[in-house]
Amino acid sequence: MTDAPVLLEMRSITKTFPGVTALADVNLVVRAGEIHAICGENGAGKSTLMKVLSGVHPHGTYSGGILYQGEEVRFGGIRASEQAGIVIIHQELALVPGMSITENIFLGNEPRRRGAIDWKAAQRRALELMELVGLQEDPDTLIKDIGVGKQQLVEIAKAFAKDVKLLILDEPTAALNEADSRHLLDLLRGFRDRGITSIIISHKLNEIAAVADFITILRDGRTIESLDVRADGVNEDRIVRGMVGRELSSRFPEHTPHIGEVFFEVRDWTVRHPISADRLVCKGSGFTVRRGEIVGFAGLMGAGRTELAMSLFGRSYGVHLSGQVFKDGKEIQLRSVAEAIRHGLAYVSEDRKAIGLNLLDDVKTSMVAAKPSKISTYGVIDPVLEHRVAEEYRESLRIKTPSVDEGVTKLSGGNQQKVVLAKWMFTDPDLLILDEPTRGIDVGAKYEIYGIIQKLADQGKGVIVISSELPELIGLCDRIYTVFEGTITGDVPRRDADPELLMKQMTSTKKTPTP
Amino acid sequence: MSRIKDLQKNLFGGTTSNARQFGMIFTLVAIVLLFQIWTDGLTLTSGNLIAVAAQYSYILILAIGMLMVIVAGHIDLSVGSIAAFTGIVVAKAMQEFAIPWPPAIVLGLVVGALIGAWQGFWVAYVGVPAFIVTLAGMLLFRGGNQYIGNADTVPVPTGFRQIGAGFLPEVGPNTGYNNLTLLLGLAACVGVVWREWKARRTRREMNADAAPMWISALRLAVMVGVIVFATLRFAGGRVGTSLPISGIILIALVLAYSFYTRNTVGGRHIYAVGGNARAAELSGVKLKRVNFMVMLNMSVLAALAGMIFVARSAASGPQDGLNWELDAIAAVFIGGAAVSGGLGTISGSIVGGLVMALLNNGLQLEGVGIDKVQMIKGLVLLLAVALDVYNKKQGRFSIIGSLLRQFRRDGPASPPSDPGSATTPDKARVAG
Amino acid sequence: MRKFLTRSIAAAGAVAMLALSAACASERQGTTATGGETAASPAKGFPADSFIGVALPSKTSENWVLAGDLFTNELTTAGFKPDVQYAGASATVSDQQAQISAMVTKGAKVIVIGATDAAQLSTQVAQAKQSGAVVIAYDRLITNTPDVDYYIAFDNFKVGQLQGQALLDGMKAKKPKGPWTVELFSGSPDDNNSGVFFNGAMDVLKPLIDKGDVVVGSGQQEVKQTAIQGWKAEGAQQRMDSLLTSTYNGGKTLDGVLSPNDTLARAIITSVKGAGKPIPVVTGQDSEVESVKSIMAGEQYSTINKDTRKLVAETVKMVKALQTGGKPEINDTDSYDNGTKVVPAYLLPPVIVTKTNAAEAYANDPKLAPLTK
Repeated sequence: MTDAPVLLEMRSITKTFPGVTALADVNLVVRAGEIHAICGENGAGKSTLMKVLSGVHPHGTYSGGILYQGEEVRFGGIRASEQAGIVIIHQELALVPGMSITENIFLGNEPRRRGAIDWKAAQRRALELMELVGLQEDPDTLIKDIGVGKQQLVEIAKAFAKDVKLLILDEPTAALNEADSRHLLDLLRGFRDRGITSIIISHKLNEIAAVADFITILRDGRTIESLDVRADGVNEDRIVRGMVGRELSSRFPEHTPHIGEVFFEVRDWTVRHPISADRLVCKGSGFTVRRGEIVGFAGLMGAGRTELAMSLFGRSYGVHLSGQVFKDGKEIQLRSVAEAIRHGLAYVSEDRKAIGLNLLDDVKTSMVAAKPSKISTYGVIDPVLEHRVAEEYRESLRIKTPSVDEGVTKLSGGNQQKVVLAKWMFTDPDLLILDEPTRGIDVGAKYEIYGIIQKLADQGKGVIVISSELPELIGLCDRIYTVFEGTITGDVPRRDADPELLMKQMTSTKKTPTP
Repeated sequence: MSRIKDLQKNLFGGTTSNARQFGMIFTLVAIVLLFQIWTDGLTLTSGNLIAVAAQYSYILILAIGMLMVIVAGHIDLSVGSIAAFTGIVVAKAMQEFAIPWPPAIVLGLVVGALIGAWQGFWVAYVGVPAFIVTLAGMLLFRGGNQYIGNADTVPVPTGFRQIGAGFLPEVGPNTGYNNLTLLLGLAACVGVVWREWKARRTRREMNADAAPMWISALRLAVMVGVIVFATLRFAGGRVGTSLPISGIILIALVLAYSFYTRNTVGGRHIYAVGGNARAAELSGVKLKRVNFMVMLNMSVLAALAGMIFVARSAASGPQDGLNWELDAIAAVFIGGAAVSGGLGTISGSIVGGLVMALLNNGLQLEGVGIDKVQMIKGLVLLLAVALDVYNKKQGRFSIIGSLLRQFRRDGPASPPSDPGSATTPDKARVAG
Repeated sequence: MRKFLTRSIAAAGAVAMLALSAACASERQGTTATGGETAASPAKGFPADSFIGVALPSKTSENWVLAGDLFTNELTTAGFKPDVQYAGASATVSDQQAQISAMVTKGAKVIVIGATDAAQLSTQVAQAKQSGAVVIAYDRLITNTPDVDYYIAFDNFKVGQLQGQALLDGMKAKKPKGPWTVELFSGSPDDNNSGVFFNGAMDVLKPLIDKGDVVVGSGQQEVKQTAIQGWKAEGAQQRMDSLLTSTYNGGKTLDGVLSPNDTLARAIITSVKGAGKPIPVVTGQDSEVESVKSIMAGEQYSTINKDTRKLVAETVKMVKALQTGGKPEINDTDSYDNGTKVVPAYLLPPVIVTKTNAAEAYANDPKLAPLTK
């Protein structure tokens, strides 16, 4: 294999965004006819690298060079890269639900005869392509009427309609069930046998270990290593070590936990996907939280952590919820957000801007938004009290804003996050669920937010931290649950927590007995 | 801080809510003066002010409800039809069943509430977009008006006409003015002074520096001056006229709804839903209930507006309420509300409505035909909003923004000199 | 600070005083001087260059446009300052209300009103009356108010009678012996005249309907059933379309249609043509250009010549009489009860026009005369 000609070579690619270096001196060599996997944690730079390759970040916005089929290429946009035969299939499929399979396959690439679309030819070609990807359907079926697995195949057929030479799949199996995933992986092997090159980005290390010929590992925007799977005898553990192999520095404030009794317990929590109700997003999960305890939830993207948290928080996600929730030994019902807040739950969402804050509000209004009853009598707001409350949080959380009358959009990400924290601290919660509390925040603000979280725990509250950054969980949490595909696969106390163990549990259904 | 800066801060885009109040009156006066010159002093005659107040009170009442609908992120196209429908129901009830007028008004409000509950149900609980629900309502209730009224004009009794065409009675000694209007003016002056005093006290309690005393005094003087002027004008019309009853209803509603939207939890929830529905829901706001109540409230106000119009016209006719929705929507957007919801104030909408009303009135006094008036109004709406959008995009000082910033609820509070105001807001605003 | 305070309060006081003094000129005294008493006193007359308001409905028919132009010209010629306003096409009633209010504010001495909805103007008319203006209802009687001074129009009952007679004559000419099958149309239900036209026509037709010589094919002969909201052509066309489908789909022939005006008549003819049926005898009114053409082409049977020139001229004459303090000419003091009072009226006689007398009837009309050649 190694003697096959090099199809693609990306040389010392560096890409910076204002304030952040996303890629630093990254190298990637892909040989013709292989399956090349790119692995890395969230934010390691995988997607950015693919965007550079496909021209989403056009030539000139990055430094370094791309050699494709032995020639230097400079793509100005997606069209240019597609003309060269490089096609990306994104995690979110780019299909039109109301159109047929044939129409989708040839969307923007319709076969023409004398100006009009030649539907007969399209139909014929569509059937060929569908056979190639192993899709057995009537080509006139609408996209919305076929499952997500088959939609994925239509995407691939669409790629082949464009005469693809290098197929890039971003998290192709994230939304697929096991049977569909297996079919897709078989298909990739089939392509390899026909000499088609593919790059696959995936979090599912078992799949990568099974299907890939080469693996390039990225971490913090750098190429860590490139592994030849067959020659080096690579297994999942080896990949994990490469992905997380960094030291945990003291990025966390000193803290001695004061952990009390179990006060919050969830049993057999089952949630179905709101659109395709046959998909289980949480499969009978159960967990406990003690007073004063910081509990982490580790898992890869799409593992179902956010969905678990939001479904608990007043049924804000999913359908056909079942399971029991106990607080202080008594079963409680959480039928609406208002009820959840009344029972002392607080949920700080992962997407601050989309669902955490009203960006039109000012700081003080945002802070009291979740429990305005505390600053009002008979529904009439007391502006003096509101102002005083906001000022108190501004001081205690050290929020940098000229005034609490300032619009929240004017604040930096870290300060916005503190405003959201204040908003939920104001509701006097017993259990705070923090979903990615430090996403998009610089190191200094992170440190402060860790301090706030620890202080909340010391007040006897339970805190759940959902994070995709393993070092953060290991540094902050007293106990970590691992979640994989909607199932809790591990319960790791702080002293046993190490990245390799966690990563292993996060990527396999096998429940590893806790040491 | 220099005095000029003080003035700028407190009069233009200052952070205190008092500055907003002042700016509102400032804008109004500017517009009134413009037309006063154009019409050679006719605009500010007692007779004209009274006529304008009576003529446009129902549109402004609609604008109150429409502001809340638009802030919540919806639209209501059915208000004119609901007004016409309620009007004919009330007129018929009084004509055919000889119901006295006070219960007839209650009946009208109940009809409005039922219609509102019907529309609110579809919008909030079924999830049909308000545009569609109210488009359907527009046809439904226009047809209902013609069905019940047989496309005929139905007169209403004299007692009922008071809410649309009535004035305060003449009581007490002959002062050369309508005494009750004078009393109302006095009450307004006292209210304004009390408010300013209380606002200063509040600022002190917040440990925030209140505006300098001289600014407070200037602001008060101007406000009291305007109130005194308006009072004397409204009280000094022909004997038997005064501030119209419909104008008093409007003022009461404006005060009540301004308080509600500004100072209560319920009001905040409307802004929260319009600003970011998902975030509001995750903060415990009952989304469906807010949407339901907003639509219900709009229909009740539309019913009230319809009755006032019928009372003023002395009869309910098949053409009542035609195109009112457009006037109300225009008022709200000229008043600085955002198409995407979450922004806007009652007082801003009232100013927007008055701009339209005075434009109409001034042009009619000039003898400009209704065809041209419509064209001018259309252009004013477009330009007012477009100029502002343009200035926003350029990050330049926005004229309307600076004038209306005061009315905008918690609008960007930085003074125009702040370089930070150049940042593009995440939400596309239509006016500001 | 203290200095600021005193200085600013002084400034503030000055502003308030300014506002006060501006407002001090109460109009209570002012209005009495210009005739603020509740009763208008036309006997006194008014200056010859006074302001005269003319509020007309929206420009939906040629007649209103013509009337507006004539009013502007003739009032100006007579030395007055006319202000002619049309209601908008969309929000007619409230537009007209606002226009009349504006005219009152401007101090109009006489306000001539062609009402959009005759029952919805009482507040504005009262306002006009109280300011001392004389209110003349032009063409349409304003109802439910004691404040209308005069009514000037063509004799509309006569118009209806002429239309009914023309319908019969036309049908007899085509088919000498009955029974004749007809359909009836009437005008907008909110227009006071609609009923008058219809009743006039029925005055002629009813005896024959009772005898069975004239048959209403659809059986719809109540005013409510035959009314066309807002005098809209599309309304008439829609009603005719459905009548043709419901009643004349078989072999039944339609001999005549009573149409209250030309706009509706043409809409009815369009509908009949569209259905591929022979054109029946259709009456009309207003002498609109298109209808005169249609009559000359042998499609529409008749129209009514209500010479707008004459009506406007008579109205201007009335205004002149009022100006000099005289009494305007009245020829009917008991027919027009508006629900509150009997309004003194001046009625002009209408003339029926068919193809045979068109040239003669329009001989003096610069626009229509050439069409009849």
